[in-house]
Amino acid sequence: MSQAVAEKASEHVLHPLGEQLNPRTSKPQNRVGWLFGGTGLALFALMALVGLAMRLDQADMLGLSPIWFYRLMTLHAAGMLAGALLSMMGGLWFVVRAVVPALDFKRAVASWASIVVGAVLVVIAVLIGGFAAGWTFLFPLPFQAAEQWPTWSAVTFIVGMGLVGVGFVVYCIDVLKATTQTYGGLGGALGVRWLRGKDQTGPPPQVIAATAVSIQGIICSAVGMTIVMALLDHTIDSRVALDALWAKNLTYFFGHTIANLIIYLAAGMIYVLVPLYAGRQWKISKPLVIGWLFTIVFVMTAYSHHLYMDFVQPGAPQMISLIASSAAAIPVAVVTIYTGMMLIWGSRYRWTLTSVLLYLGFAGWAIGGAGAVIDSLIPINFRFHNTLWVPAHFHNYLMMGVGLWMMALISYMLERSAGRTASRRTTIWAPILMIGGGYGFVFGWYVSGALGIPRRWAVHPIGTENYSLVASIFAVVFLVGFFMVLAEFVSLGRTAWRRRGESTTRSEAPAIAGASTEADMALGRGSEPLIKTPFGIATAVGMAVAASFVFLPPISDASTVTVGFHHLAHAVQFFVGVMLAAAFASSPAVIRRIAPRWTNLGLFIVVLVPVAMLLFMIPAIYSDIEGDDFLHASYHFVVLILGFVTGLGASALGRVAGWTVLASSVGMALMFAAGVTGG
Amino acid sequence: MEVSFGGFQVVVLAAFLVVTAALVGVFVLVARQARRNVAFEDVTDTGYRLRRVWLAFLLLLLTSGVVLALFFLPYPGAAQGTATVRVSGGLFYWSMNPETVSAGSEVSFEVTSADVNHGFGVYDPEGVLIGNVQAMPGYTNRMDLTLEEPGTYMIACLEYCGFKHHEMLREFEVTP
Repeated sequence: MSQAVAEKASEHVLHPLGEQLNPRTSKPQNRVGWLFGGTGLALFALMALVGLAMRLDQADMLGLSPIWFYRLMTLHAAGMLAGALLSMMGGLWFVVRAVVPALDFKRAVASWASIVVGAVLVVIAVLIGGFAAGWTFLFPLPFQAAEQWPTWSAVTFIVGMGLVGVGFVVYCIDVLKATTQTYGGLGGALGVRWLRGKDQTGPPPQVIAATAVSIQGIICSAVGMTIVMALLDHTIDSRVALDALWAKNLTYFFGHTIANLIIYLAAGMIYVLVPLYAGRQWKISKPLVIGWLFTIVFVMTAYSHHLYMDFVQPGAPQMISLIASSAAAIPVAVVTIYTGMMLIWGSRYRWTLTSVLLYLGFAGWAIGGAGAVIDSLIPINFRFHNTLWVPAHFHNYLMMGVGLWMMALISYMLERSAGRTASRRTTIWAPILMIGGGYGFVFGWYVSGALGIPRRWAVHPIGTENYSLVASIFAVVFLVGFFMVLAEFVSLGRTAWRRRGESTTRSEAPAIAGASTEADMALGRGSEPLIKTPFGIATAVGMAVAASFVFLPPISDASTVTVGFHHLAHAVQFFVGVMLAAAFASSPAVIRRIAPRWTNLGLFIVVLVPVAMLLFMIPAIYSDIEGDDFLHASYHFVVLILGFVTGLGASALGRVAGWTVLASSVGMALMFAAGVTGG
Repeated sequence: MEVSFGGFQVVVLAAFLVVTAALVGVFVLVARQARRNVAFEDVTDTGYRLRRVWLAFLLLLLTSGVVLALFFLPYPGAAQGTATVRVSGGLFYWSMNPETVSAGSEVSFEVTSADVNHGFGVYDPEGVLIGNVQAMPGYTNRMDLTLEEPGTYMIACLEYCGFKHHEMLREFEVTP
């Protein structure tokens, strides 16, 4: 089909001025959009039915045994997390790829496959193995469950969640590598260079969002992999002991951050989709850049609100979390949602199913966020912690925010492919049903939370069943609306199928401000050493030499006094290897050979080797060789080599992604030392 | 176990409903205005001015919340309460020693766990949740609560711990 026809079709779907902003699409974008968005929405649908079954059971309508209730609870949460994460990863990739062609399709598919395999393992662990420790798998419950489920199911579940983390980190590394190389480093991709007047155009907002999210994603995945590996070490060798408070910190850092990042992934997507229906471009601005810088800090420091009721948690993280949990609302409310409202105000907003869902998602984020901020105040948390207020607020912003945006992504792609909008009936009635049902559903929980009903109870206190019954009715209303949307998707899909020969993909689109040029793309694929200057290389070598003190016999012997110190020594040995590799690989002769051909291998190495290092630190391996000086020294040398290999792998990922990964991998070793003992 | 609304919880819920109503009002207003055709420059002229006011308001509101929270932290001070109750949670029971205290006592609950993480939630005789603290293996969390009202208090587990989590209840007597 000619471009003129394609544009005419799009005009019908979008705001008359939105076509100018419509991102150019390519096959990889469409494939990733369908693959991630479709899988995510399918998981959402299945897990929504599981959730309804749980709610009906709490209303005494279903008669599930508590054993099955808690299994379904575990499945529902892990499945929803994987589904929402996948969908919004795909949505962000779709819009960022239009301006960052360096994003790699195969690596995106590898990320998807890892998450899907992880989700399958979770299903096996729960439905076959009977695992039911909750999606947070809080140590030591997975292993001290009074024979409620076999150990293999716990291991399967933990490996499954680990693979979800692996998939996410692969995605984040590739996004960070691509955005920072395309937009001139971290400062360029985050808009800081533009803020300081060193860059005329600046990156588009979706690139800023993608860069910020990917940094946080790498760090939170590293924390997640550390707790996953510590749990697996404990399974392999029961002498490995974990500190319960340490485990809780890591688990919630990982869980809180990854769940939060789903919304911020979505934010990057709506920066592109909302303008299509408002006919106004979402541009880079000072508040937006500053807001995202603060968001990186606040999202990463807010997790401790999950530990408010652990009074032994040090005061500093509690106070930081108290401030960060409230402060995180400011960029959301003042920048993203407010700007979205300004773009829509007086724009002759084109109301289609997609744009209605996009708009209503803002409300879900805002109202759910308000519920979250309230619960993040410690005196309130003292009487609301782990009551039904908690699922109320996160369902509010995940189901009524992200959930609607998950549908909006597919709706946008279908309306665009079909060249027509959804039917008027669905556009009006499906949102009405979902809003009425969804808010009735979550407000049932808010009220129940105020009533003090605990969350995660299979059987609710006597006399409160009607709250669950009413909520279940509202949930059914929501689902009727949701299935109306799915039915509309089938109809749109048929139209799109009939038009499949008439490609609506635009090969050349008007450039979005800040979009990469071909020259940028070439730069983005060029070699980029971890260290640019000879002085930098000398500094890295100097740091490695200084840290080598850990190999000196007095230090080495002293480190064997406690297991914690011994693991700390391992972390330093790993660091020595990392710094030596960074220096080695940064020499022009070496970097020419490493990047960019070895990117996939580098990615494989930086994901696998730090994990192998943590698996290596179990008494079953090191206790027998400690009496033999040569073997003991060899063991430490292997740790150094693992660090060196990780450093080589990271050098194929570009400066920003490479150093972020290296810092995270050394951090993994340090975190491990802080909480794992025994043996 | 029976539960009921406490005054504190009702105030929090009411505050949330007020915020929600305000947000709904804003979203309805923007949706209605979305149909109009207004030059974007006009929108931004007013919008940027209002954004400063919005930022100031939000900063004031959130800072007030945080500062107020600092005055009412539930974390115990150095001084021990007038009564101490040692609590241990296990799959799926609570052991408490002593098993009763007298009304008006400032009770220091020293809470730990024999196995996995549990949540020590205290409901007063009316069924109002008056406080909670985590029971964690290897650690003792101390929670101070003044139990003015005599009667039967209910202890419930507030951290998911397995298939009988919802059955992990016990009564605690506060004598006149």
